[in-house]
Amino acid sequence: MLECREITKNYGRKTAVDHVSLKIEPGRIYAMLGPNGSGKTTLMKMAVGLVKPNSGAFYYKGQPIGIESRKEIAYMSTEPYFYAWMTAKDIGKYYEDFFEDFSMKRYRDLLARMELTEDLKAKSLSSGMMAKLKIAVTMAREAKIYLLDEPLNGIDLLARDQIINSVLEAVSPDVALVISSHLVDELEKIVDTAIFMKNSHLVEVCGAEEVRIQQGKSIVDKYREIYGHGGEELC
Amino acid sequence: MLKLMKYELRKTMFSKLVLLCITGVAEIAYLVGVFLKADKGDQILAFGAIGIIMCMTIGIFYIGIDSLISFHRDLNTKQSYMLFLTPKNSYQVLGAKILENGISIFLAGVFFAALIAVDATIGILYIGGVKEFLDILDQLMISIRVDIHVTPREILMPFFAVLAGWLMTVVSGDLAIVLSATVFAGKKFSGIVSFLIFLLLDYIASKVLNILPDLGDMMAQYIMIIGVSFVMVIVMYVATGWIMERKLSV
Repeated sequence: MLECREITKNYGRKTAVDHVSLKIEPGRIYAMLGPNGSGKTTLMKMAVGLVKPNSGAFYYKGQPIGIESRKEIAYMSTEPYFYAWMTAKDIGKYYEDFFEDFSMKRYRDLLARMELTEDLKAKSLSSGMMAKLKIAVTMAREAKIYLLDEPLNGIDLLARDQIINSVLEAVSPDVALVISSHLVDELEKIVDTAIFMKNSHLVEVCGAEEVRIQQGKSIVDKYREIYGHGGEELC
Repeated sequence: MLKLMKYELRKTMFSKLVLLCITGVAEIAYLVGVFLKADKGDQILAFGAIGIIMCMTIGIFYIGIDSLISFHRDLNTKQSYMLFLTPKNSYQVLGAKILENGISIFLAGVFFAALIAVDATIGILYIGGVKEFLDILDQLMISIRVDIHVTPREILMPFFAVLAGWLMTVVSGDLAIVLSATVFAGKKFSGIVSFLIFLLLDYIASKVLNILPDLGDMMAQYIMIIGVSFVMVIVMYVATGWIMERKLSV
């Protein structure tokens, strides 16, 4: 469905992603795990064309990513990116204008569930409210692939539940979800595949169930094994 | 494309409304000055007339600068995701910006030309004749050297040639901004190098306009200048879009 082949991105002398090859299949929820600077965000940005690779490429349904893939891949950046002058209503209208798979009804429903109102200005939102707004507008699309970069960052426990529930509603056999997060044990409950990245490289892709049955480990254990203690926040 | 243009207009709407409000104040001052002429309204008229001319020159200049500022922000802040996540290619994103800006500059030019024509007519009607009207403006130390035998078309053609030239300058600014964000990204002095490239592009563009053949007819000459300016706008647009499509990371 979504695939990258030997993709590399350098920022000056620093290599952010180094010869990574990866396949994302429909009907699965992936956790993209790794410490800061391991290349998770850059990889996601390359998947939607925000960042151009130095070598290698991303393909969606066998074609290089571009206009057609952006119609079916929904990306949520970890940073706030809405125009400061926009209200929540303007943001919904903007997405409705550009994405055919966007549902204004679902957006309003998600806003209400997140306890947000349409008159809220993007520039006046707290980080928690902004995270919820980003999720609402992203999950209001009926995309084939959702790439969510740190959707739980800076979110309190109750809001985390709201966000995770909204995300899980998108699960279907022809949809893939990729969620990057530092909150490994939070993700362990919902994902079925883990992608481990370290120092710009893809270390391992493994099924959560397979790790549990064959290795007798949880994803959190696997995480500790790969990155060691103290390198990353676990919960 | 139209939807992209709608949001481009929305981004620069505030500064255009400010320009409109200031122009409104200058216009009211001018009209009050005209109607109060008999009661010594000369200074108010001068304030209004100078205000309208300033709004026109600075306003049209600023519409171009505002577009460049917005484009720079669109490439160098996270709000770039709003544009580059949409299912549109770089040519469409850039094209919408240039079209919106070109139309805004053109409409601002038409608006101010029409406003000045209406104001001059009102002035002539109320003050009592072209000569008297120009005498009043002369008395106000406004440097007006208008040959009243010149037709409006002969005034408008150079005016629109200047607008087309300004759009060409703005598009060369867009190209310099894209070079700074792509080819020179992360390099030392990228801003300075890009600015020098902008100056060079603008110099080359003005040189091209200077070496155009003399057609012997003023109208034909200005039509050619406007045409060549648009050709250069298109060439720089294609070059900028090509670089964005292949090199731009936001």
